Order: sequence, then structure tokens, then C-alpha cells
Amino acid sequence: MDPSGTAGTEGSGARFVTTHWSVVLVAGRTDSTRAQTALARLCQTYWYPLYAYVRRRGHSPQDSQDLTQEFFARLLERHTLAIADPNRGRFRSFLLSTINHFLAHEWEKLGAQKRGGSRQILSLDLARAEERYDLEPTDNSTPDKLFDKHWATALLEEVLSQLEAEYQQAGKADLFASLKQTLTGTGESQPYAVLATRLGMNEPAVKVAVHRLRKRYRELLRAEMANIVADPEQADDELRHLVTSLAGR
Amino acid sequence: MDTIQICPSCGRPLPSNAPKGLCPECLLKAGLQTETQPNAGGPAPPKPPPFVPPSPAELARHFPQLEILELIGRGGMGAVYKARQPSLDRLVALKILPPGVAGDPGFAERFTREARALARLSHPNIVAVYDFGQAAGMPFFLMEYVDGPNLRELERGGKLNPREAMQIIPRICEALQFAHDEGIVHRDIKPENILLDKKGRVKIADFGIAKLLGQTTVPDAALTGAGDVVGTLNYMAPEQREKPLTVDHRADIFSLGVVLYELLTGELPLGKFAPPSKMAQVDVRLDEVVVRALEKEPARRYQHVSDLGTDVQNITAAGSANPPLLSQPPAPVVPPAPPPEEPSDCRILPAFLLAFIFGIFGAHRFYVGKIGTAFLQLFTFGGLGIWATIDWILILCKAFKDKKGRRITKWT
Repeated sequence: MDPSGTAGTEGSGARFVTTHWSVVLVAGRTDSTRAQTALARLCQTYWYPLYAYVRRRGHSPQDSQDLTQEFFARLLERHTLAIADPNRGRFRSFLLSTINHFLAHEWEKLGAQKRGGSRQILSLDLARAEERYDLEPTDNSTPDKLFDKHWATALLEEVLSQLEAEYQQAGKADLFASLKQTLTGTGESQPYAVLATRLGMNEPAVKVAVHRLRKRYRELLRAEMANIVADPEQADDELRHLVTSLAGR
Repeated sequence: MDTIQICPSCGRPLPSNAPKGLCPECLLKAGLQTETQPNAGGPAPPKPPPFVPPSPAELARHFPQLEILELIGRGGMGAVYKARQPSLDRLVALKILPPGVAGDPGFAERFTREARALARLSHPNIVAVYDFGQAAGMPFFLMEYVDGPNLRELERGGKLNPREAMQIIPRICEALQFAHDEGIVHRDIKPENILLDKKGRVKIADFGIAKLLGQTTVPDAALTGAGDVVGTLNYMAPEQREKPLTVDHRADIFSLGVVLYELLTGELPLGKFAPPSKMAQVDVRLDEVVVRALEKEPARRYQHVSDLGTDVQNITAAGSANPPLLSQPPAPVVPPAPPPEEPSDCRILPAFLLAFIFGIFGAHRFYVGKIGTAFLQLFTFGGLGIWATIDWILILCKAFKDKKGRRITKWT
């Protein structure tokens, strides 16, 4: 693979031009289909943190499911993005402030019978959301902090799924399964020799494979970060924020 | 084998929703690292290793007079620790600069000179420097500990509404003006360096550190990590990017303009930016302030940061009911009434009145046939008329300059 030899960050440069959140923001009022698709993709990836947030704010499972569905339906239907929200530079902050507004001003106005119902614009696996929520250990962080933690997890889930899919397509699913633990490691401490024996490779080859995996992971992570901020320059900042939010787990 | 409970890297328990069974925190941290790791195989890059702040325990060995409590911040310009000074029973902040900078020729002398200048900066809105020196090759500053978030954290947490933000700006301006009067330029004004203590008092940190690190170009990526370079670059005045060593206090004014824009709109004024009032619900008069602070040409910016502060304060205090109250009105359409203390302005009305009376009188002389006195009257009239006209021209010119003779009107 060619990019493995290059210095790195330029490889993902082209991606930055069409990042999802910036596409949505630029489109603003004009409801372009591109913006719709971009927003739908973002909502698909990041709906669970929002669901968990609503649950933590004290809404019942059924209410939370309806609420999440209704919220995304409204978000996708009418572009409320033109509002000048200082948080809109980041998709995460934007969603949080928009849901707060929604909870405070609009949700109660909807009659109980009008809530939920047939408004299924996104197909979200809301039925399983509650199972997932139940599985989580009790966490006494504030809803905001919990939202950020879930956000970081959703982001990583997305990136790792992409990475895994790439390895699967290349017929290297086993390699990914064996090496994925090295993504969190600091390098030297990883038992390359053990991995080499298990994979039937020699040690230098394992090192190269690990290097490639990490490099590709970082590329995909950067690309996804760029998807959720309006300006690629905010990506590092957002990443640091997420690291901080997880540090308190 | 995927059901690992403890992260082998950081040793902390894995959350139940760990993505692909991996520790999310370690994964994200791995993402923050640069692409080329020394251990990643292949030829090692010639870059010096990134600055890794020592742990509080490691640091404690070099500072027996302090109790190092925790690492509270790290960035391109070093790391900051919270510490306690038992002798004085107070909390202090210990800032360590990357050890690499000390090897730079002339650093020791520059460090001493700058540190002494910084120690003189005694102002309630500037983080005080208590001591400085070098320990184990690491230059350090012992500073006032500010218990509170920085502006970036407040922005991020959405804990700052535009009105509160606008109350902070004049305080920042006062502190900066104080430093500028002392001949010290901050050079790295950004939200991270503006702190707010528990009582809501503004404290500006890291004065002059950028200069101390002797940046002959934009901050060195090896020292700072890419994110920090970009972060700082966003706030840097154009002339600072080109000639970092020759900038004056107006570079701080530009950086503050970026901070102001960001506070108002939540975004950075990149490229051809929209005026704040187009982006958010803010007083339209602030547009002018922002635009003047962000002028590319230093000579066209505010020349004193205190003027920026005054304008923001007046606009915020006046509210929308009152007319614009800028300290220096930009490009007035009609020349304003001349200020009363100007002698030439006091003379102008009598000059016109006299010219008028003499003119009438002269015309009357013509009418009754006294040609001689008529000419005399007309000469006087003409003289006074020319005097009055020149006076008017002078006043018009003055209208486009302020008291210090600085031009405030753009003729283009």
C-alpha cells in the first residue's frame, strides 16, 4: 500500500473537503440532498449517546425512544441549522444544545398521542437501545459527561468497524483480530514474538503489520474527527476533549 | 480471549461497552499521537522526541521546597503542575518549559531578562510570577495558582453567554494595556491563556513565554505537537507569522480580535469571515470593533488595546437603546461638531459673522456710491472669508484624525 510510505496527514486531506458536518453547515437552509445524506449518516452513528442522555435526564425507556426518534425526525425534516448557535462548530455540542432546547421547549407541547407513532425517518435500533442501556454499569456522572463518554465510544465503534471491514475485505480478518490489541499499546510492551508465533509470521513482519494497522487506524480516526467538526482545525481539540471526558470514567 | 476485563496498557478496568473490546481512552490517546512512532518499525524519523512532562513524583525530586500535587495542563510551551509551597502555605503553579529550549544559544540570558520583566508585571488580572530558574535542565516558572477554568473550557462547556463574555473583554484589555505600557507583548493570546478564578476575575497567563522560547518562525512542531501549532496559528497576527521577532503590541490586539470573534460567534474568523452580527445575535456595533481589531495591516488596527476595551464596554453598557458610542468614531459622514476646547473652532463663528457683517456693510457702501470705503470693506471681508475657509478645511481634516493625530478614516 502506497500511503504507508508517505508522511501521513496529507493522505486524508481530500476527505476534509467534504466532511459531513461542514457539508451540513454549509448547506444550512437550502436542504440539499447532500446535506441530508450527510446529516442522516451522522445521526445513524451518533444516536445512541443522545438516547442515553435522554434516559439519564430521567425519561422513561418508551418516552426516550419516541423522543429520540422525534428529535432526529425534526432535525432531518426542517433544517434548524441556520440558527446561530455558538456550539455549532462541533456536531457533538450542537446536538447537545439542540436536544436541550427540544426537551425544554417542544417535547412537552406535543400531546402524548402525537409523540412517536409512525415518524420513523431513520431506522434506529431503538428496541435494543434499552438493553444496551441496561447493561451499562451505574455511572454517577452528569448527563453531559455521560453523553461525551458515549460519544467517544460511538466514534471509536465507527472507526474500528471501518477498519475491521477494510481488513475483512482484504481477507485479513484474523490479522485484525490478533493485532487489534496493539492499537492501545505503547509498542515495545507488546509481545511481538508471541504474536509472530501465533500468526505464523516472523517478528519484523509483525512489526510492519502493527505499524500499518496503527497508521490506518489513525487515518480513519482523523477522518471521522473531521466529519464531526465544522473546521478540520478543531479536530485535535475535539479529540482532546473526548480523551478528557473518558479520563474520568 | 476478547473478554479482557483490564486494559493491558493502562491497567484500568474496561467499560462494558468498550469498542471491539478495546480500552476507549487508550484508543483515543493513540489517535493523538503523531503518525510515526519510534517503535513502529521502519526507519526512525530524525525528529527529536516530543516533550513528555515528568510525573509529579519525578518532578518532586528537583523541587524539595514544593509539594507537587498534580499535572494540570500541558501544551506546546511546556507543562503546568499544581503545587503547594508549605513555607508560605499557599498553592502555586509550576510551569516547566521543554528542556530542549535551554540548549538554544543565548537562552540563559534571554530567560533571565524576560523572567525579570515578567516578575515586574504586577497586575490583578495578570498571573503573577513568583520565581524562576532551571532545575535538571528544565527552565521553570513558579507562578500564582489560579483556581478556575480557562476561556476555552468555558466556551466548550457552553457556560459563557455573549453578555458575560463581553464583560470579560474590557478586563483583558486593561491587563494587556498595563503590560504594553511596560513594554511587554504577550504574543500568544488565545482562550487557553485567559483564566477565570473562582470569583470570576480574569487572569492572563503565559505572558511573553512565546518570545522566551525564541521562536524565529512559527512555533516549532517538534516542540509543540501539530495541534498546538494550529491552535496558536489561528490567533496569530499576519505579521507575527511572517516576522515573529519584530511584532509589537498590535499583534496582541489582533489575537484578542480573534478571541472576541470566537466568543461572539463560536467560530474562528478564517479567510473572508462574516461580521459577527451575521453569525449570531450580537450588537451590530461590535462588528466594527472586531473588524478593526482584525485589520491585516497593524497601522489600521486599534493602536491601543485599551481603546478596544473602551469600545466593547461602551457598547455593552449602552445597550441597544442608545446611539453608537465608539471611542473614536469611524469615518463620520458629516463632520462632527468641533470640540469646544480647540481655539480655532471657537474663532470660526465670529470670523463668519464678521465676514458677513463686513460684506453687508461693503455692499451698502457700493450702493450709496462710497467706492473707497466699499473696497476697504470688501478686502476685509475677503480676508476674513479666506481665514474662515482655511479654518474649516483644518477642522475637516481634524475630524478624520483623533487627538493623537492618528488617522482613523480610510479613504479607499
